Amino acid sequence: MVCAQVETSPRRCWQKVLYERQPFPDNYVDQRFLEELRKNIHARQYQYWNVVFESGVVVQQLCSVCVFVVTWWYMDAGVLSPQGLFGAALLTSLLGYVLFDAIDAGVGRRESGRTRWADLKSTLVFTAFTYGFSPVLKTLTESISTDTIYAMSAFMLLGHLIFFDYGANAAIVSSTLSLNMAIFASVCLASRLPRSLHAFVMVTFAMQIFALWPMLQKKLKARTPYCYVGVTALFALVALVGLASVSSVGAVLFASLLLSVSCLCPYCLIRLQQLKDNIHGPWDEAEIKEDLSRFLM
Amino acid sequence: MRTSHCSHNLGAAQFRSHVAISRERAGCGGRGKGVFLSCSSLWHGRLPHSSEAAADTSRLPGRSAWLCWVHHSALSAVICAPQLSKALITHPKHIPVGAPSHRVWSAGGLRSSCELHRTAPSPVRTPRVGGGQRCGVSRPPRIAGMVLKVFFPSCCSSAESGILIGRWIPEQSSAVVLAVVHFPFIPVQVKQYLREVQQVAKVSVSVLGSWNNSKQEKEESLSEFLEDLGTIFSHEPWIQISKEGDSKFWNCSTLQKQSDSHREEEIILVYYDQRKVMLSHLHPPLDTADLGAEDASKLSAIFNTVASSKVLFMTDRYDDGPIKMTHWQSDGVEASIIVELMKQASVPACMLLTFLLSLVSGVCNSRLLKFWPLSFLWSKLSTCEQLGHRLQHLQVISSSKKAQNQTQLMRKANIFVSLLIDVALGILLMSWLYRKNQIGHLADTLIPVADHVAEELQDLLQWLMGAPAGLKMNRALDQVLGRFFLYHIHLWISYIHLMSPFIEMILWYVGLSACLGLTVALCILSDIIALLTFHIYCFYVYGARLYCLKIYGLSSLWRLFRGKKWNVLRQRVDSCSYDLDQLFIGTLLFTILLFLLPTTALYYLVFTLLRLLVVIVQGLIHLLVDLIDSLPLYSVILRFCRSYRLAAGVKFRVLEQQDGKPLRLLMQINPLSYGSVVQTYRLPTYSCYPKDSWTSLCKKLFLGELIYPWKHKGEKQD
Repeated sequence: MVCAQVETSPRRCWQKVLYERQPFPDNYVDQRFLEELRKNIHARQYQYWNVVFESGVVVQQLCSVCVFVVTWWYMDAGVLSPQGLFGAALLTSLLGYVLFDAIDAGVGRRESGRTRWADLKSTLVFTAFTYGFSPVLKTLTESISTDTIYAMSAFMLLGHLIFFDYGANAAIVSSTLSLNMAIFASVCLASRLPRSLHAFVMVTFAMQIFALWPMLQKKLKARTPYCYVGVTALFALVALVGLASVSSVGAVLFASLLLSVSCLCPYCLIRLQQLKDNIHGPWDEAEIKEDLSRFLM
Repeated sequence: MRTSHCSHNLGAAQFRSHVAISRERAGCGGRGKGVFLSCSSLWHGRLPHSSEAAADTSRLPGRSAWLCWVHHSALSAVICAPQLSKALITHPKHIPVGAPSHRVWSAGGLRSSCELHRTAPSPVRTPRVGGGQRCGVSRPPRIAGMVLKVFFPSCCSSAESGILIGRWIPEQSSAVVLAVVHFPFIPVQVKQYLREVQQVAKVSVSVLGSWNNSKQEKEESLSEFLEDLGTIFSHEPWIQISKEGDSKFWNCSTLQKQSDSHREEEIILVYYDQRKVMLSHLHPPLDTADLGAEDASKLSAIFNTVASSKVLFMTDRYDDGPIKMTHWQSDGVEASIIVELMKQASVPACMLLTFLLSLVSGVCNSRLLKFWPLSFLWSKLSTCEQLGHRLQHLQVISSSKKAQNQTQLMRKANIFVSLLIDVALGILLMSWLYRKNQIGHLADTLIPVADHVAEELQDLLQWLMGAPAGLKMNRALDQVLGRFFLYHIHLWISYIHLMSPFIEMILWYVGLSACLGLTVALCILSDIIALLTFHIYCFYVYGARLYCLKIYGLSSLWRLFRGKKWNVLRQRVDSCSYDLDQLFIGTLLFTILLFLLPTTALYYLVFTLLRLLVVIVQGLIHLLVDLIDSLPLYSVILRFCRSYRLAAGVKFRVLEQQDGKPLRLLMQINPLSYGSVVQTYRLPTYSCYPKDSWTSLCKKLFLGELIYPWKHKGEKQD
């Protein structure tokens, strides 16, 4: 160790050890203190428009929830007939199904190994099951007060938004839980509708919008970013318009929410990056950077 | 001197140590200088005040000493035989007046005196000195330092002079006197008789000493003569007890032949009631204190000695044997005609009973009755269990083997008395039932009661189908369940009405079985209750199964909701990635089950409570049956009437004292307390108590598992 010149009288060099008796006090440091400190070496540099692009996922989910609630509102008010909704949802599903395969020209389907027949089977099973249980579903919450139902549904939808898999690698993410919560909310709301056909259609629609739609959007985003942006914008517009027809205050609030999520939050993120103050140094925990797969047989 | 009367209840454990008799001797005169110091702390406040308090209390060491029978050191030894001048071994009454009945026995000159005796004219019976030289029979030496205790039977207090026979226990330094053999006797015959007794009774009986009961003043010659006897019946030590006139205070002394030094022995005289001690049975202490065990064995040695010497007590004074004895039965052996008759009659009765029982058990164990529906039915009816239990009891009683020990005898007696009481109560019940057409009345009230119960149930169900207690039920499920149960009740009512003409006849025949015992009648009652409330049991099972299924499904689906799964291999919850359709259906079902939970839970709760009510009623009846089965009535009555038969220990009462005379104690039997009697002699029963603890019972109730609170011992646990 290179010995540094010290102003004080002792000629000996200070060594950064404690097992030798030195003329310095125990908490003595020389000027080479913290010279290995590094700051923010892992800080990422974000680009504004990239972040805005990525925030589309969140916008999508918010809009899905909004669309679902609005649809339910219409069904409850009797404006939308179940047959109409069923027809429209069926058409959209077929379209989406075709698009799903056409986007990556069948590569994804071949990779996952899921046949069309399996898809058809699960659809049939699900539809039959829901149709069979729809009378039970309808009378499920008869004795529970409306306020409770609303509160429960709101809570469940919020949970759905929290636990959704937006693409981040966090521990809180649980796609199963988020989907289940959404279905639970849909069943709660569907049980408030007048007849069992309404309940059946509602649940089916919920499944489509909460399970199938995000799958399609994910693929779209990966393959055709510009298309994805367009679709997102369109979807947001539809949601806003629908909400506006129900309640204008809600529409204004929702619009501001969307804007803040898509435009304001990225700006804040980038600005706050400059205030980052992570320190790194030789005191950090060791990370194994080697690829250990060569030890596997 | 005031009588110091301190009687304490002593357990066998405290025989040695808790006899706290504090006696202070004033002065050092007299022979025994013993001061008995065993003062335990119990005795602190209760020591009698021997008022002759010339006592120097300095003689008493600390009161908390645990010592017993402290042997005082300054005693003088008794010098052995040679210098005594003895009389011939004759009965005092046979001594012809003026006859030279004295011979001088020189030291060691026993043989010469024998010759002298052989040539003497004998209106007297001469002894043959068989064992004269055999002075030093090897006996285990006495434990030095222990005071000699002589257990003297109270019935021999007024016996004529003679020699004492009994057992010498060297480890405790105590001599248990069993009888007094009077003059005239031939020593060889005495010894032979004692050998025979020893062989039969397996107790080492020997001659212990001499007993001198002189009605007038002390006869010197007789006492010297009795001392001489000690040389013939060599026993170490030779105990001499003498009584003058009607005095209460006796003289006791011992002769030590082996030791040279003249030591004065401290002797304690303990009176005991021979008959009571013989008949009583000592119960060891239930808590095993280590001090208790060895002391208990000391006391039980004494009790066993008296109890095993039954053959000794069989000869009474009217027998024409060579030996005349005095003991508790010497006035005639006790017997009662009734007991003898019963003993004679019991043998053929037992044989007949055994034969009948073997027939019955053969029928019961036959293959015919073991088919599945029947065997299932038998196992469920508690009447059959009770009958089997009683059958077993009868087999125990009527077995031809004699009872080996006291416990078995008591057990047999308890079973017999229990059966008798049971049958008597049953016949009483029967006589009440069949009088004034009670059966008819019962049958007439049975149908309306069943109807009433059914109506109450229907009302309950209607209440549940509405909004019970303000709870909001799922209407559809409510209706379904309510209608289902109502239909069930309707079926039940029709069934009861169908059976109504036959009820009276059935009851009449069933009531006849009460002659087998009250317990059987109670078991039949319990079974009838079970049959009448069968629909409640069915409802409970339906409700419990439904609820259990729901809880199970809910827990599994809740795991699916969170994206987890139960790993059966590792017995833990793991994460799992489900398929889409699995998720959908799972969530749907979860929602449905969750919202239907309150309804099912309420039905389950109501029917469980009803079932528990019925179970409690049945349980109470079974408790009563168990009580009658297991109560040891014979032992309790014995404890009440003849309390000395069941002994927990002994207590000592200090009798009047006099200076210079040995300490006199009266040993009284301390009977067992009623609680210990019941605990010791309880008969085992066949049913056991609830096998679940409270927490596991609550857990089972919560999860909806079926509960069987009263499981019988014989059934396999699943």
